Amino acid sequence: MSATMLAESPATYSPPAQFRLSGSGLLRSEWTKFWSLRSSWIVMICAALFGAGIAVAVAFDFTIPPPEASEGANAPAAPVDPLTALNVFFGFQLASVFIAVLGALFITGEYSTGSIRSTMSAAPRRTGVLWAKTAVFGSIVLAVYSVLILATFYATQAILSDTEYGGLALSDPGVFRILSGQVVMMVYLGLLGLAVGAILRNSAGSISFYVGAILVLPMLMVELPWEWVGDIAPYTPGNVPNTLAMLDTTGATLSVGESWAWMGAWLVVSFGLAAVLLKRRDV
Amino acid sequence: MDRIACGRSVVDMIEIEHLTKRYGRKTAVDDLTFTVKPGVVTGFLGPNGAGKSTTMRTIVGLDAPTAGTVRVNGKRYAQFRSPMTEVGALLEAKSVHAGRSAYKHLLALAHTHSVPKRRVREVIDTVGLSDVAGKRVGGFSLGMGQRLGIAVALLGDPAVLILDEPVNGLDPDGVRWIRELLKSLAAEGRTVFLSSHLMSELSQTADHLVVIGQGKLLADTTVDEFVNGRGDGKVRVVSPDAAALAERLQGPGITIASPKSGVLEIQGTEAAVVGTTAAAHGLVLHELSTQRASLEDVFMEITADAVEYQQTKEGVAA
Ligand SMILES: Nc1ncnc2c1ncn2[C@@H]1O[C@H](COP(=O)(O)OP(=O)(O)O)[C@@H](O)[C@H]1O
Ligand SMILES: [Mg+2]
Repeated sequence: MSATMLAESPATYSPPAQFRLSGSGLLRSEWTKFWSLRSSWIVMICAALFGAGIAVAVAFDFTIPPPEASEGANAPAAPVDPLTALNVFFGFQLASVFIAVLGALFITGEYSTGSIRSTMSAAPRRTGVLWAKTAVFGSIVLAVYSVLILATFYATQAILSDTEYGGLALSDPGVFRILSGQVVMMVYLGLLGLAVGAILRNSAGSISFYVGAILVLPMLMVELPWEWVGDIAPYTPGNVPNTLAMLDTTGATLSVGESWAWMGAWLVVSFGLAAVLLKRRDV
Repeated sequence: MDRIACGRSVVDMIEIEHLTKRYGRKTAVDDLTFTVKPGVVTGFLGPNGAGKSTTMRTIVGLDAPTAGTVRVNGKRYAQFRSPMTEVGALLEAKSVHAGRSAYKHLLALAHTHSVPKRRVREVIDTVGLSDVAGKRVGGFSLGMGQRLGIAVALLGDPAVLILDEPVNGLDPDGVRWIRELLKSLAAEGRTVFLSSHLMSELSQTADHLVVIGQGKLLADTTVDEFVNGRGDGKVRVVSPDAAALAERLQGPGITIASPKSGVLEIQGTEAAVVGTTAAAHGLVLHELSTQRASLEDVFMEITADAVEYQQTKEGVAA
């Protein structure tokens, strides 16, 4: 009798105890996910080529004074602002679009392919995944663009060395602020793209929203006939970091400090919304 | 709920209580209650659209119940500190990024729980994907994708395995392989819960059956009871003395039909009784057989209402 009972009662199984879900595990997971996609490499390289490539190409022709300066060509030459050389960095604005799109795709790609189901089954509280993605993507953009912008600075200065735009040092007033401002702007816009992706979950929708509502709309706002619309334009998510990389911040609506505060505010709002929606919606 | 010293429940690893899930006005799962026990393979059977996939998604917390509760080993899935070792799931919908290799997909998931690379290689070997582990998943066949999904489910060596239509796209060898795999996993004391819309797929693997239709529970029994409980064992007799035999067999609870002359179909008795009766009265028999309803028949019968209801509804809507 007892033998029968033993045979019929199933063996009890205890799963391995050494495997544990952790924050550091989620970070490693997202790191692996980011670099294991060919698209990440392609977009990162395109962004670098546009940013640094344009800067270097422009540096070779920078001996021609920029348009604003050439107006007074006949007048006795005004002393050049040594920071003018940093105008070569405008290509990084284009690079920022690539980075923001990459940020959005880092999340929307999971929804379009369905891998989000594996991801969220492994981490059912969900928000940890969002924070891990944010930390991994933000760190990658921060590291890559710190190196890239510094390298671009030295490369363009080497090209400009025997012109009146050469000879800038990192310690010269404004130089470090502007260069670090470029990096921070890149990280901020990348994270904004990621938050948009997390909210909208759809690749085409997120990219359209980013380009339309965050990049283009603020530019249109200043053209509209209502003054108040133009007045709020500097506070829109895509515009708040602008002061950071301005050569001359005296005319800017936002001070550097206010610029930081507004970037923080927009990130808190967008990621807060993303986190709440992530918790509430079905995957 | 029965518990043993180490705190793991011996009975009812998956407990679904009054589960309802609506998408807008569509009710996918309707007040469903059942449990799934460890140590056996439990089949989850129902026609397409019955709500099997939806139920399975709520178990791993991907979809939140509209009402009711879903618990695994007494807890909500999201409460586990190591969800991957509690439940491994193969879902019906694609759950892999097509641009990533099978190895990297598994590795990324393994990292979340600090599962070592050794274990990743192990599951790749188990499902037979070693040769293509480095290739992008986008180029995989349906069967290879299915094997990768099974590798994901096995990765954390979990106590509960949930597999939604696992044999989809597998070749006959693959089907046999997964049947053996699931049986051996259950024999280790794990809970194995697999769905199918085909009875034939489950009849060879499952010990227990949960049958649903239109999101509602239709049956929750063992495979044997499911067939026998329907009581459709018929005794078929071919005899030149059919009329005489029918007269002798008359009795309470016995129905006798004669589809054509010389043939009897008798319900409510057994072949032995019929044979003995015939011999006692010297009646000649040309054929005597018991006809069991096949699992497929029983399934069709039990789900017919659910399917018909759906079809009329759609007919009206169209
Ligand atoms: N995300 C969803 N949104 C809307 N309807 C859904 C969703 N998921 C499932 N359904 C509907 O719920 C019903 C049950 O679906 P499902 O669980 O996939 O059934 P099964 O897996 O048994 O075939 C179907 O009618 C299906 O159309
Ligand atoms: Mg299904």
